[in-house]
Amino acid sequence: MARINLENLGFVYPGAESATLDGLNLTIADGEAHALLGASGAGKTTLLNILSGLLTPTSGALRFDDKDVSRQSGRLRNVAQVFQFPVLYESLSVAENLAFPLKTRKAPENLIRDRLDYICDELHIGDLRALKPAALSLFQKQLIAVGKALVRPDVSLVLLDEPLTAVEPRTKWRLRQTLRRVQADLKVTMIYVTHDQTEALTFADRVSVLTAGGILQTGTPEQVYNSPEHEFVGHFVGSPGMNFLPAKALGINDADRAGFRPEWAVLSRANSTPSTAPANSTGIGHITGKILRIRVQGAQAGKPFGLLTVATDHGEVAVRGEFPDAAVSAGDRLHMQLTRCIAYTDQRKVSDIELL
Amino acid sequence: MSSFKPKNNRAWLGVLPVLLIVAFSAVIPLMTVVNYSVQDILDFNSRFFVGFEWYQQTLKDPRFVDAFLRQVVFSLTILAIEVPLGVAVAKGIPKDSRFTSLILILLALPLLIPWNVVGTIWQVFARPDIGLLGWTVNALGIPYNYTAEPLHAWLTLVAMDVWHWTSLIALLAFAGLTSIPTPFYQAAELDGASRWQVFRYVEMPRLQGVLIIGVLLRLMDSFMIYTEPFVLTGGGPGNATTMLSQHLATMAVGQFDLGPAAAFSVIYFLFILLFCWIFYTSVVRSDDE
Repeated sequence: MARINLENLGFVYPGAESATLDGLNLTIADGEAHALLGASGAGKTTLLNILSGLLTPTSGALRFDDKDVSRQSGRLRNVAQVFQFPVLYESLSVAENLAFPLKTRKAPENLIRDRLDYICDELHIGDLRALKPAALSLFQKQLIAVGKALVRPDVSLVLLDEPLTAVEPRTKWRLRQTLRRVQADLKVTMIYVTHDQTEALTFADRVSVLTAGGILQTGTPEQVYNSPEHEFVGHFVGSPGMNFLPAKALGINDADRAGFRPEWAVLSRANSTPSTAPANSTGIGHITGKILRIRVQGAQAGKPFGLLTVATDHGEVAVRGEFPDAAVSAGDRLHMQLTRCIAYTDQRKVSDIELL
Repeated sequence: MSSFKPKNNRAWLGVLPVLLIVAFSAVIPLMTVVNYSVQDILDFNSRFFVGFEWYQQTLKDPRFVDAFLRQVVFSLTILAIEVPLGVAVAKGIPKDSRFTSLILILLALPLLIPWNVVGTIWQVFARPDIGLLGWTVNALGIPYNYTAEPLHAWLTLVAMDVWHWTSLIALLAFAGLTSIPTPFYQAAELDGASRWQVFRYVEMPRLQGVLIIGVLLRLMDSFMIYTEPFVLTGGGPGNATTMLSQHLATMAVGQFDLGPAAAFSVIYFLFILLFCWIFYTSVVRSDDE
């Protein structure tokens, strides 16, 4: 296990006009579960290949525990990787697969036996030991691949490259849960690369949001969700993503735009006369609009709640919460009082504004 | 259910054309040969039923036994050379270079040459007096004459077959290798696998399917080899390179021993079938375990 340090890391593909990765700085603590979240084309795969030793950074340095490993091969760095689909040795049994990374390094027999027992116990795969991969389900195969990555006691970093892609949707959450538990038990440094925000936010201690421009924000899932440093982060994380309106429309003067999560609004019926501010206005953080679509998601104390799409004078927004009353229908006018919002200038956060 | 029966029966009519074609192309000729093999045919009007006499005679005939043993040795030799060599060549072909297609075309060339031309090429190529190969070997001080020395004839024959057919194995193996996704290599690299282990545990399991087909094709083909040795050595010196099919042709066409030749053919056919069946079932069974 190791602390991972990216220092001004950059990468340019030979013959490419612009850098794929430019000046990345990131520190991942020893034993941390870290998620790299990014849309396709953000350079996730390139960064992954640099971490695994397949590519050498063209500038900057990659350090494992302060040791520069930029030019070292992945096997010398003791990196293990779990791929998008299960990668196992098809002619070997599960036990032989699990033992393979130890055998190639000439580990003593008793160590191999101990580690195999330990991993089988941890992943609950003891009864699969004698089987060949062909006899396993995709879920089981990927579980074995995870076990193979964790089997070496001296593994410094485990890379997970969208490991749930090939697994059936039914069993995705189970594998994710297992990964989370195993990571917590074994305290192995893990980097989980994905474009799926749910996977990233539920798996990781900390999340880095990556775009072609670099890392936009690194923080706990709560920080990334509640206080996006960059408009793209707010937009990319969350379902639906953050709403953005001109700051002036919400009464904020010292910023370009203001963003708020769908659930950061208290909903009430607007006065029948359009475009007038309600009486209880505190000055900022309220807006009215016409309801376009309603999706009821449940009811609390007799009041329905759900997702409303609302057309305001400044564009559509999505809000989620308790409806003012049961009779709300499309076409009604709605008043939204925000509980908090975040002000952005040049797409960067300038302040968190608590309103209620 | 009964209302479906007429329809089901009528559907058999659809199979009829295929049945007819197969009957004319395979079943009837084969049965004709079986028919010949149990008769002694003196001329068109006088023929006698002799039962299994020709079969017994053929199996006891030392010329048949010799040709058969030569055939087995030849097939095993070329398989033992062509399969490992083909895989090695396939491993040497770059996967995504701009020369890849050029290399594949060059490799495929020997496969496109008519078999009797292959024989002719090697007959000239290996001649000690004017052939590039034969002359060079002799010039190096190694006496070499494939028309006089049985061993030299054998070496030339094997070299010719290896030249002609290794490409087939190489192309099949290359197709198998390119179908292995790169993460398998990356995982093996991170697992600390040696080059041999990568070959043994990543590549071989994936090559098994295409290699079974390759070996089957080469086994059947080499067991029926006729044209190339006929052109190269004519089966000589003596009978040193007379394979089964050439022996058969001498009997049937040269000596008009139709009955014994037919019995020979049936035995020959059954042997090829038997070898392929043994090979296939043994490989498939070991694969299942």
